[in-house]
Amino acid sequence: MAYRVLITDDSPAMRSFVRRVIELSGFELSACFEAGDGAEAMDVLKKEWVDAILTDINMPGVDGEELLRRLAADELLCGIPAIVISTDATQNRIARLLALGARGYVTKPFRPETLRAELERTLGVPCD
Amino acid sequence: MIRAALASAVGDVLESMFFLDTLGEAGEPPAGADTVKVHLSFEGDPPGCFEMRLARRAANAIAADFLGEDAGSLTPRQSTDVTLELANMICGAVLSRIESSATFRLGAPRVVADSVADDTREPLPEEATRYTVETGSGTLTASIRMETRTCTATEKYAS
Repeated sequence: MAYRVLITDDSPAMRSFVRRVIELSGFELSACFEAGDGAEAMDVLKKEWVDAILTDINMPGVDGEELLRRLAADELLCGIPAIVISTDATQNRIARLLALGARGYVTKPFRPETLRAELERTLGVPCD
Repeated sequence: MIRAALASAVGDVLESMFFLDTLGEAGEPPAGADTVKVHLSFEGDPPGCFEMRLARRAANAIAADFLGEDAGSLTPRQSTDVTLELANMICGAVLSRIESSATFRLGAPRVVADSVADDTREPLPEEATRYTVETGSGTLTASIRMETRTCTATEKYAS
């Protein structure tokens, strides 16, 4: 099965890297959308359905925490799993974001297999 | 402890995200070296600031690997973007190691010197912790300075 994902990060380099890592890890994508912040992510989601959202937290404009709040408040979008990708590995921040509705958390730096494993776990994909 | 965290973070970030095995600790580059300098501040307990100085050749090589592009076809914008992200990741990794239970927030990284002529900004003071590593294409120096809480006069004389 191929998946549709949305990558949200204010760094174009990071968006490109995450996309490449997902593709190179063998995780099958049928579509990959990108957004520069939470507001752009919500615009994408008005038009496109995705199976998972990968989001940074520290972004100018609508940041990752606010994006999680908006997703949780939306009847349709609240069911889409969101995985946070962030430099912040502190327990406080992780707990806070999981409480806001994040289904997964990947700390930068990460190995490609870590991101793939988190995607598979979040989407309920059987391991190879 | 901070220096060990800095060294560990630099190595971990370069290896995990940039697939780069460093060639070990090195001396800081001379003042006139062709480097890119990035600065970012962070809020937390304590707050502070972080700087990264990266040899330009290394910046381009690292960016090419990160983006899966040929170094010759990279735009300056792409190289800068990756360099900023590298600084962001190293700083975050250091802070997570120093205080795993604290809350901190990184400011946006920015290039403060992109050439020798630009480099008029004062470097972080002597009390900043520094670590320099050889990447194979040039050196990377990471520096971090945590602000220390100043005792009030009452606290000072009470102890």
